[in-house]
Amino acid sequence: MVPRYLPVRLKLMVLLAALLVAACQTTSGTHKVYPGDTGPEGEPLSSPPPPVDAQPLEPLLPLPQPLPDYPKSAGQISGAAVTSLMKRAQQYRQAGQADQAAGTLERALRIEPRNYFVWSALAQAHLAQKNYAQAESMAQKSNALARGNVYVALENWKTIAAARDGEGNAAGAADAAAQIAALQARLDAAQPTSP
Amino acid sequence: MAVNTRSIKIAAISVLVLLLSVAGVLFSGYLIKLDKEIRDRFAGARWALPAQVYAAPQELYAGLALNAKDLVHELQRLGYREDARLEMTGTYSAGAQRVDLNARGFDFWDGVQPPERLSVTFSGDVVTDITDIDKNESRDLVRLDPMLIGSIYPKQGEDRVLIKLSDAPPLLPKGLVAVEDHGFYSHSGISVKAIFRAGIANLRAGHVVQGGSTLTQQLIKNFFLTSRQTWTRKFNEAFMSLLLESHYSKDEILEAYLNEVHLGQDGNRAVHGFGLGAHFYFNKPLNELRPHEIALLVGLVKGPSFYNPRRNPQRATARRNLVLGIFRDEGLIGDAEYQADIKLPLGVAGSRGGGVERYPAFVDLVKRQLENDYKDEDLTNEGLRIFTTLDPRVQETLEAHIIGQLPVIEKSRKMKADTLEAAGAVTSVDRGEVLALVGGRDVRFPGFNRALDSRRSIGSLAKPFVYLTALEHPEQYNLETVIDDEPIELKLPGAPLWSPKNYDRQLHGPQHLYMALAQSMNLPTVRLGLALGPKAVLETMHQAGYDGDAKALPSIFLGAVDASPLQIAEMYGTLASGGFHASPSAIREVQTKEGKPLQRYPLQIKQVFADGPVYLLTWAMQKVMTLGTGRAAYSLLSPDTAVAGKSGTTDDYRDSWFAGFGADRVTVIWVGRDDNRSTGLSGSSGALRVWMRVMKDLHVRSLDNIPPASVEEISIDPESGLRADDQCLDAVVVPYLRNSGPFDWAPCAAQGSTSGPMQWLKDIFGH
Repeated sequence: MVPRYLPVRLKLMVLLAALLVAACQTTSGTHKVYPGDTGPEGEPLSSPPPPVDAQPLEPLLPLPQPLPDYPKSAGQISGAAVTSLMKRAQQYRQAGQADQAAGTLERALRIEPRNYFVWSALAQAHLAQKNYAQAESMAQKSNALARGNVYVALENWKTIAAARDGEGNAAGAADAAAQIAALQARLDAAQPTSP
Repeated sequence: MAVNTRSIKIAAISVLVLLLSVAGVLFSGYLIKLDKEIRDRFAGARWALPAQVYAAPQELYAGLALNAKDLVHELQRLGYREDARLEMTGTYSAGAQRVDLNARGFDFWDGVQPPERLSVTFSGDVVTDITDIDKNESRDLVRLDPMLIGSIYPKQGEDRVLIKLSDAPPLLPKGLVAVEDHGFYSHSGISVKAIFRAGIANLRAGHVVQGGSTLTQQLIKNFFLTSRQTWTRKFNEAFMSLLLESHYSKDEILEAYLNEVHLGQDGNRAVHGFGLGAHFYFNKPLNELRPHEIALLVGLVKGPSFYNPRRNPQRATARRNLVLGIFRDEGLIGDAEYQADIKLPLGVAGSRGGGVERYPAFVDLVKRQLENDYKDEDLTNEGLRIFTTLDPRVQETLEAHIIGQLPVIEKSRKMKADTLEAAGAVTSVDRGEVLALVGGRDVRFPGFNRALDSRRSIGSLAKPFVYLTALEHPEQYNLETVIDDEPIELKLPGAPLWSPKNYDRQLHGPQHLYMALAQSMNLPTVRLGLALGPKAVLETMHQAGYDGDAKALPSIFLGAVDASPLQIAEMYGTLASGGFHASPSAIREVQTKEGKPLQRYPLQIKQVFADGPVYLLTWAMQKVMTLGTGRAAYSLLSPDTAVAGKSGTTDDYRDSWFAGFGADRVTVIWVGRDDNRSTGLSGSSGALRVWMRVMKDLHVRSLDNIPPASVEEISIDPESGLRADDQCLDAVVVPYLRNSGPFDWAPCAAQGSTSGPMQWLKDIFGH
């Protein structure tokens, strides 16, 4: 992989990079981890670290390369039935009937349970009803199903930020704002504004 | 004398007048009392109306996986009948790739859907289009009317479905009057003529063959009085009838009669009124009844038990034909219709009236969930409309395979018939809606509900929660981590020495973590659990939805935890939904009897596990199905359908469990004995037999296996567990949490010898 005619300085840089990667590796698991000689007394050898919490999206660095062709709107991945229900839900939202909107979106989810645009809209309907915990849960669910779709993730993090704000969770809202900024930066980098 | 006579006369008249006045006052008082009773009874709610419980409606839309045969089956279950003309609602006409129907309207939670004539076209097993025949326009989404699956009536109580006179087919009131009270529209509550006629008929026959009561009197009798034949009762009945007629119109009285009359008995439940009668005997709404069906119900008024069409079909047929004869004589039907109708079979729906009372285990769950929010009287009196999550197609599938497989298993194991019991639940992934529930092999019997109340030891169904706890620590564990399979002896204070064994009593040497789960090995699981601690594992179970009181002891790793099948569905549902928990819900909405929305039960979810570890666990649970204890399922399922699952077997083979999921359905099956004795069945040889048939018939959707952002797939060499490249012939792709996979190249990899990190060093310093 490393061409042999590279100048020595560059080789040293590669070496440094390799050492750095090797250093990082020490914390990662390999297949050779044994639980050890658990004695018959049955005491755990080491107390396990606290369980990993549900992880938020890792902050994403702005990448110059174009984004994958993520669907931008519900219409791109939804059938006619779900599209029509989403429109109806939108009308309910505009009429201030958030619970009717949520009921209609739930009906849509029964038809397409993994449609992350529907989950995202449902999160917003819950936000409109001040159901902050559910707004965040539904937005997280949408993120989990969206598998990296930046457009949807951005909407969901806006919902999460507003929900945490509504709950009076300032630190959480700031975390969400950082996610929004990172996602926005990634979008901006991918779509440079033409001069 | 003359004076005396005169004063006696005056005195006598005075006394008479006085007596008459007193009698008049007393009589007026009596009438006023009766009058008040009648008005009170008729004002406001005349009946306690049991809540009505509906299944989920079938949604129809282009793209739905449903073929023409399935739709026809669905329509028949709803009591639709074939009729190419589609004149009435509740009719359909079926072709190979097209079904036309005259859909009933329904007052849904989110709006009224009017009746409409629809044409549904199919391409193979998928709906391609729905067109409104009359408007000739395509429809995105249509709901069929939901099936009425039960009602919540008080113990020993009356059940009824209230109707308006205008809902009734015109033949019903006319026919009823013709048969029961010919002079109804002309008499004033009692009919001297009728009493006289009945008297003569009874004298001629030498015993009572005819009653002289008018419809009004019958209504009064049912409403206020006992059925004892006493003079006081007859007297009261006559005056109350007269009073009722003075306050209310003939139509109001007739409508009340149609709703009040007793038409049959179903165990403790008394079937009252023609509205419920139509459902109970014919599984359809009243307005769709045809003349011979109306005649049967009208005939039942005379004696619902004596003419019970299910128990005494011959008597019922004779009675129906007699009534049809009266219909013809009165000019209500033509002679041709009469001749045709008397030849028709009774057409009564199967026992327990089609939908009503058909799914006792599920309706039991609905009642329990309602009890959190409603008082008993609200449920039995207010006529609430309860919209539930039951999917009749899924329910039918679950029932069919429990009923079908138990005798097969018993026979193959040489057990006595009816030794085994079973329970099962199917829920929706991502939402936790209960789609089907079976509480025992006698699926219609409203007895012990094993799906909810039988909390049995879960055996190896607990193992995934041990492995999930491990996989939440990527710095220590991944799917390829090797665990020893060696004997363990454990001495806990106050307990005998515990020395668990593998299922096959053998030792298998060190095992990869995923394989230890796939083969359901006990010793590696206990070893892993001990390293994690029972507290952490129990906490994982609680997060998934376990709400029992098991103690944090090492025995929980092997499933010394009691849970009901529905609770297992909840816990496995959390795994199936990528770490999001939803409580199992059976109710979607509640409406008042007028159709106003009262309460919605919104979807509620909570993320309890990160998506990465759950993805890894699900990968291992798919190995259960392809390499391990669940692999028999692929004798039925298509190899393209990825499903994840786990078998469960408890000590001495007392309980046989199988739980698992695809992308859309979670299914849990338990097989065992009520006396908790050994069945000799493992999870694979018992419950799996039912599970795999249910999943196949549900056309369970394949898991999509798209890793979340927190997971990376790495090609490894299984021999060394290190990174593989295309030089490694046996390389397999294994998911790892990001940055937790192996770093070094396997010996088989080209990179290992020429361009690994060590090679770079040689390149740099070798010159």
